[in-house]
Amino acid sequence: MAGTGDAHLREDAHLVARDLVVEFSGPNKTVVHAVSGVSFDLIAGETLGVVGESGCGKTTSGRAVMQLERPTSGEVTLRGQRLTDLQGTDLRRARRAMQMIFQDPISSLNPSRRVKDIVREGIEIWGDPDGASTSDRIDEIMEAVGLGGDDVGERRPHEFSGGQCQRICIARALVLDPEVLILDEPVSALDVSVQAQILNLLDKLKEQFQLTIMFISHDLAVVKNVSDRVMVMYLGKVCEVAGTDALYAKPTHPYSRALLASIPGHELDLPPASELISGELPSPIDPPSGCRFRTRCPHATAKCATEEPVLRAVAEDHYVACHHPGSV
Amino acid sequence: MAFLRRLGRLVLVVFVVTFFTFYILDRIPGDPAERLAGVSATPEGIEELREELGLSGSLPERYGSWVGDIVRGDLGDSLIYDGISAWDRIRGALPKTLETLVLAELMAFGLAVPLAIRSAQRPGGLVDRWSSATAFGLLALPSFVLGIYLMFLFAVILGWFPVLSKDLPGFTDDPVGNLKGYFLPSLTLALNLLAVYVRLLRTDLIETLQQDYVMLAQARGLSTRRVMWRHVLRPSSLNTVTAAGLNVGGLIGGAFIVEVLFAYQGMGRVFIESIIGKDYFVVASMVTIIAVGYVMINFLVDILYSVLDPRIRRLSA
Amino acid sequence: MRKRLGILFWIAVLWIVLVVFLAIFRDSLPIADPVARLARSGECERFERPSWSRWFGCDNAGRDIFARSVEGARPALVLGVVVTGIAGTIGTLVGVISGYIRGLFDTVMTTIVDISLAFPALVLLIAVSVAFEPSLRVFVIVFSILGIPGYARIVRGATFALAEREFVDASESMGATRARIVRRELLPNVALPVLSFAFIGFALVIIAEGGLAFLNLSLDGITWGKEISEGRHFIVDHPHVSLIPSTVMFLTILAFNLVGDGLRSLVAPREVATARRLHIEGTPEPRSEGDDAVLRIVDLSTKLHTPGGLVEPVDQVSLSLAPGEALGIVGESGSGKTMILRSIVGAFPLADVTRAGTVEVDGVDMLRSADTVSRRTLGTNIGMVSQNPLTALNPVRRVGDQVIEPMIVHGDLSRADARERALELLQQVGIPAAERCLREYPHQLSGGMRQRVTIAIALANEPKLLLADEPTSALDVTVQDQILRLLDGLRRERGMGMVLVTHDLAVVKGFTDNVAIVYAGQVVEYGPTAEIFANPQHRYTVALMNSMPDLNLPSHSELTTIEGAPPSLIDPPSGCRFAERCPAVQDKCRTDDPVRAGTDVHSYSCWFPMSEHPVEVS
Repeated sequence: MAGTGDAHLREDAHLVARDLVVEFSGPNKTVVHAVSGVSFDLIAGETLGVVGESGCGKTTSGRAVMQLERPTSGEVTLRGQRLTDLQGTDLRRARRAMQMIFQDPISSLNPSRRVKDIVREGIEIWGDPDGASTSDRIDEIMEAVGLGGDDVGERRPHEFSGGQCQRICIARALVLDPEVLILDEPVSALDVSVQAQILNLLDKLKEQFQLTIMFISHDLAVVKNVSDRVMVMYLGKVCEVAGTDALYAKPTHPYSRALLASIPGHELDLPPASELISGELPSPIDPPSGCRFRTRCPHATAKCATEEPVLRAVAEDHYVACHHPGSV
Repeated sequence: MAFLRRLGRLVLVVFVVTFFTFYILDRIPGDPAERLAGVSATPEGIEELREELGLSGSLPERYGSWVGDIVRGDLGDSLIYDGISAWDRIRGALPKTLETLVLAELMAFGLAVPLAIRSAQRPGGLVDRWSSATAFGLLALPSFVLGIYLMFLFAVILGWFPVLSKDLPGFTDDPVGNLKGYFLPSLTLALNLLAVYVRLLRTDLIETLQQDYVMLAQARGLSTRRVMWRHVLRPSSLNTVTAAGLNVGGLIGGAFIVEVLFAYQGMGRVFIESIIGKDYFVVASMVTIIAVGYVMINFLVDILYSVLDPRIRRLSA
Repeated sequence: MRKRLGILFWIAVLWIVLVVFLAIFRDSLPIADPVARLARSGECERFERPSWSRWFGCDNAGRDIFARSVEGARPALVLGVVVTGIAGTIGTLVGVISGYIRGLFDTVMTTIVDISLAFPALVLLIAVSVAFEPSLRVFVIVFSILGIPGYARIVRGATFALAEREFVDASESMGATRARIVRRELLPNVALPVLSFAFIGFALVIIAEGGLAFLNLSLDGITWGKEISEGRHFIVDHPHVSLIPSTVMFLTILAFNLVGDGLRSLVAPREVATARRLHIEGTPEPRSEGDDAVLRIVDLSTKLHTPGGLVEPVDQVSLSLAPGEALGIVGESGSGKTMILRSIVGAFPLADVTRAGTVEVDGVDMLRSADTVSRRTLGTNIGMVSQNPLTALNPVRRVGDQVIEPMIVHGDLSRADARERALELLQQVGIPAAERCLREYPHQLSGGMRQRVTIAIALANEPKLLLADEPTSALDVTVQDQILRLLDGLRRERGMGMVLVTHDLAVVKGFTDNVAIVYAGQVVEYGPTAEIFANPQHRYTVALMNSMPDLNLPSHSELTTIEGAPPSLIDPPSGCRFAERCPAVQDKCRTDDPVRAGTDVHSYSCWFPMSEHPVEVS
C-alpha cells in the first residue's frame, strides 16, 4: 500500500487512526478517493501538524477522526476505545472527548443564537462535567479565550470580528473539557496580525487545559510554529512524518521538499521548486497507481508505478514513504 | 442516459395523471351512457351503448383499453356530441390556447429583458424603482382581476381592442384582427410573467455585475454595452429560464381563466365543459396533451439551461 | 437587530387588520344585509354608483356591494388561515427532514415536489372541484395538498444551505442529537423565511379560490371570486360592480405580499447596491520634466458613498512605477490595497465613487480623459490579474473567446490572427495543450491553469503595465510559486511595469523592487524592498513583519501580535491611524496626523520611527 504503513505509530498513543479510508461517491457513479489508508497517532499533550495542499485529504482525515465523516474502512481509537465501531448514543458520548474547530469562524456560529447560549450548548447537552456552577465555568473559559467582559454573552455572532468569532468557537469547544482538539485551518481566514493572536492563544490554552491537538493547515510556516510532529499528505496518502524541526531541517520525501522549496523567502538549502515538482495534481477519482506522487516527481522510476511505497524510518522518528529517499 | 431517465419520467407523469383523471371522472355523479341513450332507452340498450362506448367494466379495465387505443392513435369519441371525436374537440381549441401562450411569453420576455437590463445598470434609479414597484403590484394581481382591469381600460374606455375575443378570424386570414383579439388575453398573462422575469433577471444581473470577471472585462476597456450583452446577460439568465419552465403550469391555469373572461373557446372552456359533462375521453385526452406539453417544455428548458451554462453540460453528460 | 420595515409594510398590516376586523365583527357593525335585494325596498337602485351613503354602490340585483365584499372576506380568510397552517406545518417538517437527513427521502421528495410545482394546479383543482361537491372541507384538503410542495421546497433549500454550515458540524461534534440540531440550530433559522412565505402563500390561497369561483366552481355563499365573475358581465355599462370587488381582492393580496416581503427583508436584507456612478474631483498634478513613469499616482483619494456612510478606502496615496519595475502593495484585508488598483482602472462594484488626485498610465490621465481614450489605454496598455482564478473568468464562455476578445476589440486583429496569437500566448504562460485549452470552458481547468489563462488575457495586447491583485492567494503553495515565477519572468522579458498587491510579505520580498505598506487606506511606508526589510521604520511595518510565523525560526517561537483591529474607514480617527494598536504610541500620535518623513527614496509617516527611537517608546 502506498504512502501507507504504520511503522511510525507509537505504543503509548492517546488517539490512533489506523488505515483510514474515506471514499465519496463522485459524479456518474465514480468514487472519489479522498483518503486512502492513512495512519497517524497523537500522544497525550502533543500537537500533530497535518500539512498538504488542497485535495490531499487533510480535512477529510480530521473529519473522519471526529466521525463527522464515517470512514469507509480503518479504525480510530481514543484511549483504546474504537470510535469507528460506535453508533448512536455511545458515539455521541465518546465524541465529547474530541472537539473540532473549523476554518470559517463566522459560518461556525449559529447567527440566530446569543454567544452565551452558543458557548453553553455543550453543558446543556451533557450537564456540567465538573459539577461546578455553570456560569462560573463559562466565565472562566470566556476569560481564558480573551473574551471576558459582561456583555459579550448577550450579543450575537454578527457583532464580532472573524478573530473574535474564532475565540468564541474555541470557548464552545473547551466547555466540554475535551482531551483532543482538531483544528481545521483555524487561522486561514484571518489576517496576519489576528492569526498571531489566535496561534499564541492556542499555545496558552494547550498548557492550561492539557490539550492534545491535531492541527490541519496548508500553511507550512504556521504548522511549523505550532506543531511538535508534522505529517505531510498528498492526494489521500501520507508522504512523511517526523518531529517538526527534523522535518523542516531535512525534508526527505520529494513532495515535502517541493512544498518547502515553493515558499517564497525560505532560507533552506533546496533547489528551486520548479526542479522538484512538475505537472498538475491528478484527479482523486482516478489516482495514479503505485506512488501517487510519481506523475509529478523528478525521481520517479518504473518501480514507483507498480509498487506502492510504505512508510519507513530514514532516521530516528523520521518516516518517509518513498522508494528513493536516498536519491534526493 | 439522462435522456432516457427523463423520458421515463415523462411516461410516468402521463400515466399517473391520466389514471387519476379517470378515477376522478368516475366519481362525478351522472352516467353519460344513460344521457346519450335518451329518456326512452331500455336498461339493455344503455348497457349495449355503454359497451360500445368503452364505458363498461371496472376502472382499470376501461383505463387499459383507452391506453391501448391511444397507442394506436385513437383518442376516443366525445360522449356529449354525437359523432365527434375527442380529437375534433381538441383540434378547435388547442391553437387558440397555444397562440395566447406563445404571444404571452413573447411579450413577457420582450419587455422583461430590456427593463431588467436598464434596472440593473442603475439600481435605485428611476427605471429601476418604477419597474420594481410595478412588478410587485403585478404579482398581487390574479389574472382574472388584471384581465378585468385591462378590459376596462383598453376595451371599454379606450376602445382599442374588442371587449370579448369571440369568433376571431384565423391568423392567416386576417393577422391584424386576429392579433387584436388575442392581445388583451395574452397581455393579461404576459404581465404576470413579466413581473416574475424582471425581478429575477434584475437580481441576477446585479449579482453578475459584481463578479470579478465583469470587473476585469471593464478593466480591459470593453464598452458597457459589450460587457452587458456578451459577459453579463447569459450567466444571469439561468434562474429566469428555470422560472419560465416552472411557470408553465401556472400559465396554463391562467390561460383557462382568460379564456372564460374574454369568452373564447380554448382548451380551458372545452375542458370545463367536458369535465362537467363527464366526457371521459375528451378530458383524458386533454389531460394527456397538457401533461406531455408540460414535460416537453420542461425538457426544452433543461436543454436550454445546459446550452446557457456549460458547467451543467458536464454533469448531465 | 431592529431593521426598518418601512411605511408600506405597516399600511399593509393595517389593511389586513381592517379586513379581519370587518369580517369577524360584521354582524355587530352597521353593515347592510349582503343578500337583501335593496332595490325592492327602494333603499338602493340596481347598479347604483358608489356614493357617500353607499360606499361601494349596489350590484345588478340591488344588493349592497360593501356588505358583500365584507362577507366575501370570510371564506377567503378562513381558507387562508387553515390551509396556511396545515400546509405550512407539514411542508416545513418535510422540508427540514429532506434538507437535513437527505438520502432517499430527499430524492423522492424532490422529485414529487418538482413535478407537482410545475404541473398546472388549476387543472387538478377543476377536476377535484367537479368530482367532489365543492365545500370548505374539500377546498381545505385540496389547497393544503397543493400548498405543501411550496413550503417544502423553500424550507428544504434553506435547511440544505444551513446544514452545510460548520455550526451544524460543531453541534454534532458536541454530541447533540439530530432532533436537538433540528430544534436548536435549524428551525430557528428557517422560521422567518417560512413565516414570510406563509403570507405569500396566504395570498395564493385567496387567488386560487378566486380563480375557481371565476370558473363557477366555488363554495356556496358569497366569495370575492364569484362577485368578480358575476360582475364582469356588466363591465361595459356598470364597471363598478366588478371593479370594486376586484380592487378589494387586489389590495388584500398586495397587503399579504407586502408583509411577506417585509419579513423576508429581515432575513436577507435587500441588496443595497447603488447605481454605478463615477465622479472626479480636483485638478491633475502636472508631470515633471523627464519623468517617464509608466504609472504615476499623486494624492489619489477614493471615496465610496455607501448607505452606511462615506468610506474612504484610499486616502492621499502617491506611488510611482518606472517601466520594467515591480512594486508591491502590502496590507491586511480592508486596508484599501485592492481599491488602489480599482481606482487606477475605474472598475468598481456597484457603488457611487468619487476619485480625486492624479492617476496617469503611460502619460494618459485615467481620471479625466475622454471615455474612448481611457478605454483604449485600459485595453492596450494595462493588463489586470485578479485574486480568485475561479471567478476571474466568465464561466459560460470558452477560454478561446475570452483570450481573443481584447485583441479583436482593441488590437484590430482578425479573428484568425487573434486565434493564432492566443495560441502563442497560452504557450508562453505555460499551458501544455494550448490548442485544446482554447476550446474548453473555465470549469474544465484547474485553479493554476485558470490563473495562467487570466494572465494570458492580461498580456494579450502587450501592456506596459500589469496590475496583479493577490494573484496567488487562492492557489496552493506549489502553484503559487509557479505563477509568481511566471509573472516575474514575463515582466523581465517584456519590460512591463508590475504592481503586485498582496497580504504576504514573503511574496513581496522575493518578487518586487519597491514596496508600499498600506494601513487603513494610507501608505504608511514606501521605499525599496530590500531597504524596508532590512531597515523598517514605521511601527506597523515592524509589527507586521514580526507577527508572521517565520519558517526560519524553531517551532513554538512566540509570535509578536498586534492587538486590536484596524479602525473603521467610515469615520477614521484623527492622528495616526495605527495609534490604537501601536506599542510605542505617544499622546502626539493620537492628535496630530503624522507627516511624511524620510528621504525621497524611503519615506514613512510616523512620529516615532524605528531609526530615531530604536527601543520601544513608552
